[in-house]
Amino acid sequence: MAKATQPIMIDGVPLKEQLARAERRKKYIALGMVLPLLLFIIITFAIPILSMLFRSVDNPRMVTIVPNLVAALDDWDAVDLPSEQVFEIAFHDLTAAKKAGHLGKVSTHLNYSLSGGRSLILKTKRKFKKIKSGPYREAMIKSDKRWGDVHTWAVIKKVSVPYTARFFLNAVDRDYDDTGNVIQKPEEYRIYVTLFLRTLWISLGVTLMTLLIGYPIAYLISTTPPKISNLLIIMVLLPFWTSLLVRTTSWIVLLQTQGVLNDIMVWLGIISEQERIQMIFNLRGTLIAMTQILLPFMVLPMYSVMKTIPLYELRASQSLGANPFITFFRIFWPRSIPGIGAGGLLVFVLSVGYYITPALVGGSKGQMISNQIAFHMKSSLNWGLAAAMGTILLVAVLILYWLYDKVVGIDKMKLG
Amino acid sequence: MSVPAYTGPLGRTWHYVFLGICCVVFFFLMAPIMVIVPLSFNIEPYFTFSEGMLRLDPDAFSFRWYKDVLGMCTQKATEAADAFVTSTKVQECGSGSNRGYEWAFAARNSILIAIFATLVAASLGTLAAVGLSRTHMPFRKPIMALLISPLIVPIIITAAGMFFFYSKVGLAYSHLGVVLAHAAIGTPYVVITVTATLVGFDETLIRASGSLGAKPLRTFFKVIMPLITPGVVSGALFAFITSFDEVVLIYFIADAGQKTIPIQMWSGLRQQISPSILAVATMLVAFSIVLLIAIELLRRRSERLRTSLPS
Amino acid sequence: MDTNQAEAYVSFNEVQKSYDGENLVVKDLNLGVQRGEFMTMLGPSGSGKTTCLMMLAGFETATSGEIMLDGTAINDVPPWKRDIGIVFQNYALFPHMTVRENLAYPLEVRKTPKAEINERVDKALGMVQLEGFSGRRPGQLSGGQQQRVAVARALVFEPKLVLMDEPLGALDKQLREQMQYEIKHIHENLGVTVVYVTHDQSEALTMSNRVCVFDDGVVQQVAPPDVLYEQPENAFVAQFIGENNTFVGTVKEASNGYCVAEVQTGESLKALAINIAGPGTRTTLSLRPERVSINPEAGTCDNSVQGTVKELIYLGDHIRARLELCGQDQFIVKVPNAARHSHLTEGESVVVGWHSEDCRALDAPA
Repeated sequence: MAKATQPIMIDGVPLKEQLARAERRKKYIALGMVLPLLLFIIITFAIPILSMLFRSVDNPRMVTIVPNLVAALDDWDAVDLPSEQVFEIAFHDLTAAKKAGHLGKVSTHLNYSLSGGRSLILKTKRKFKKIKSGPYREAMIKSDKRWGDVHTWAVIKKVSVPYTARFFLNAVDRDYDDTGNVIQKPEEYRIYVTLFLRTLWISLGVTLMTLLIGYPIAYLISTTPPKISNLLIIMVLLPFWTSLLVRTTSWIVLLQTQGVLNDIMVWLGIISEQERIQMIFNLRGTLIAMTQILLPFMVLPMYSVMKTIPLYELRASQSLGANPFITFFRIFWPRSIPGIGAGGLLVFVLSVGYYITPALVGGSKGQMISNQIAFHMKSSLNWGLAAAMGTILLVAVLILYWLYDKVVGIDKMKLG
Repeated sequence: MSVPAYTGPLGRTWHYVFLGICCVVFFFLMAPIMVIVPLSFNIEPYFTFSEGMLRLDPDAFSFRWYKDVLGMCTQKATEAADAFVTSTKVQECGSGSNRGYEWAFAARNSILIAIFATLVAASLGTLAAVGLSRTHMPFRKPIMALLISPLIVPIIITAAGMFFFYSKVGLAYSHLGVVLAHAAIGTPYVVITVTATLVGFDETLIRASGSLGAKPLRTFFKVIMPLITPGVVSGALFAFITSFDEVVLIYFIADAGQKTIPIQMWSGLRQQISPSILAVATMLVAFSIVLLIAIELLRRRSERLRTSLPS
Repeated sequence: MDTNQAEAYVSFNEVQKSYDGENLVVKDLNLGVQRGEFMTMLGPSGSGKTTCLMMLAGFETATSGEIMLDGTAINDVPPWKRDIGIVFQNYALFPHMTVRENLAYPLEVRKTPKAEINERVDKALGMVQLEGFSGRRPGQLSGGQQQRVAVARALVFEPKLVLMDEPLGALDKQLREQMQYEIKHIHENLGVTVVYVTHDQSEALTMSNRVCVFDDGVVQQVAPPDVLYEQPENAFVAQFIGENNTFVGTVKEASNGYCVAEVQTGESLKALAINIAGPGTRTTLSLRPERVSINPEAGTCDNSVQGTVKELIYLGDHIRARLELCGQDQFIVKVPNAARHSHLTEGESVVVGWHSEDCRALDAPA
């Protein structure tokens, strides 16, 4: 291709620029087609999640309800009991909060970090009525002697900062002490690190089990003639298409102590009536049910990689003197590894965030991090902690997602 | 799979062991789904095979749980439609002895929500997939990553986020809110399937159509659409089943007025488990078999179309 | 280069094409195609021939210049209004339509009455001998059958012009040769104007009325096949069409349409002066293998040189001999398989002669 001696001009405009313009127009058209969905996902999905994540550090309650007290405690050294001035501000702020009907919120908030905090605050409703004038320090201590405890004030100061890492610390079984140092929680309160680790182990276990039992059938499907393999694929896809709740229900029916499997074993005489095995509502139940439910996600990516391994390569290997075993390990296995990567990552990502199955068949030992998040969302209403745990989980999932993109490519994701 | 004549005894043994292993795995996959089908006809309120059932005694089987779910509610179903808007009334009726009423109401909700969520997901998703498949699309990778992410983000996180946000903007506890939420988690399927269909799309067909005298709009409807329709429909079916099977989002952002079949099952499973759940489950299995067959036929059709061209 | 361009049915007038604004893929193209002509654009891949075809079809826009069809400029006419039938390289049959629907498509978009559509589709199917296949889909046809459907579809709406973009590339050799004749006969019977693109020179020579040789975005020569073969105008065409022996030399003198050039090893060779700059410049001498005689009778050839036989290949009707002469060890001679010549042996020293009017002095190598 020869270079034009000078820039090619059309109607006085360099062709290059015209081409760039046309290119830009095409870009806008393409972008315009994607835009509606992009906006839809951002508004209905991304913004809700981001704003939820913000709650993990956001701590607006005290600042909005008792602003003066928060400001006053800001200057306090947290060593000696606060001054009369601080007590006076506290009295007026709490009285104002009571009138606005926000005292309940303050009490709940305090209760997360101070046992008995709820009663302390709610008591003021009655007790503060009696206090007509200062000095407020003595009057308040008289109403409840906990007001005379430096620890109480330290906790109030601690929970009053507008942005806090406390929820994240809580999520990994840590907390601030009165002087603001990070410490481990008392042994009996350390539950979340164990839970994160258990989630990790369950996910790894499910991934390995699906790989172990999925590989043979993926191999079988990819090497049988289409007539049979189509039927086998349907058998893999049917569980995939069956309602998650239906499958979970089936496992309960099969595995519970009065269930089908126990009945069969009793009937066959393998176990006696008294020896019925507890196979569900524990960790084992979660593992078994999740393995079956996620198996299609392992088999399908492996199969789609395996079917691209051409038969003639295997024949070439055999003609070169390798027996079927050697051919498998030297040719087929290495060529199928991308499929293992794709399936393994997908199953791992999906199991890390699993919720429904553990909730229904996990009992107390088979719960995962998602279940704890749901508990804090729905029952304890400690949304900050739920958000912090959710953030940790989401970051882990996004790292895996990124890894999946590197290894497999998002655009290569296939369904069935 | 048959063994070649030259295979030695070791190879032969291994071959049968391997086939055996595969059978066990397929059994593991299928058995839990299949076992509930006969159990749903158990006349007794137990979740296991009675002796009568094992003897195939006709008296041990009955449709009583199906009647429980479907039979009694034929008249009430119309009432359910009237009660649709007022969730309080629904709860009153549902708490009564008439369980069929609750299921009918839930089924109606499930289907309505799934249909609207699918329509939103399929239309937005198809348009976006066509845009993403253009060679001139800027930022394709990050945008694709964002659009697929509802599939990857743990449902509990999505649910928590939506709970706060939808409450704030007044979408919580409404059908619209649930439809939007379900559409959001359904779009990745449409994007994936339509993009996959477009990967094999032969651009010269568009040129050919033009050279034969068809204007672009006609080319779109007569040539492009028929060829990507299988992808759109299968993506839409995925989106439909996603919405139809979804529990967690509804559990978080909706209330009794948006009660669906899965939610009904979910609460049934968490409280007292009734055999009518097995009847519902069996019907859902039948439903998924129908959907699966539809998907499989579509896949074959699109494969046939794609392989028909010399590459 | 084309004297009849003004009255041509299809013409490119000073057409240029650039994809990026810097490099020209087609440079100053001037070309005319007569009504009813079978014109082939021949050239190596990347030479710009397909770009020309796509500009004619309307899928690429000429950067500058004008393209005329039947007396009107079509630069701004969209493809669907050009009335040009195209046979694509991969056929581009619509996989979701049957053969009949594919053929009816261009007629339907033109709102032809139903009865006429049926009639014309049947006629077109008959023309390509696919009467029994109208209900099948493209996927159920063999490659050759798909090819015929593509040809029929491009012709069924009686377009002003038919373009074919390497339509036989996907077929095997035997089928390709058969289709070459079929397409040629269809062209002769219908009298339609065809512009055909290929990189296969034998295909071009077999089918065309005229061939237009492209290289590097420039038309090298436009001529009927025999002229192209016998009288190439430059070294590229000589090399690209058929087999060719070349010597590189320096022009010593030129007169009366002939010139004398001195090659590397000092021999002086006389040749037709076709495309030389003048005495002292370099030139490529081109000579067809079949015009060379081995050990000619004295006085019959005005060029004769001593050479050594390096290799002999038996090819039935002739023997292909590779000789070393004038410092060139790839000199090919086709020796007819007659008793007189059968005594050649490898390593033998022979005299090689040819007529100076068979040897053409062309432009210098790049």
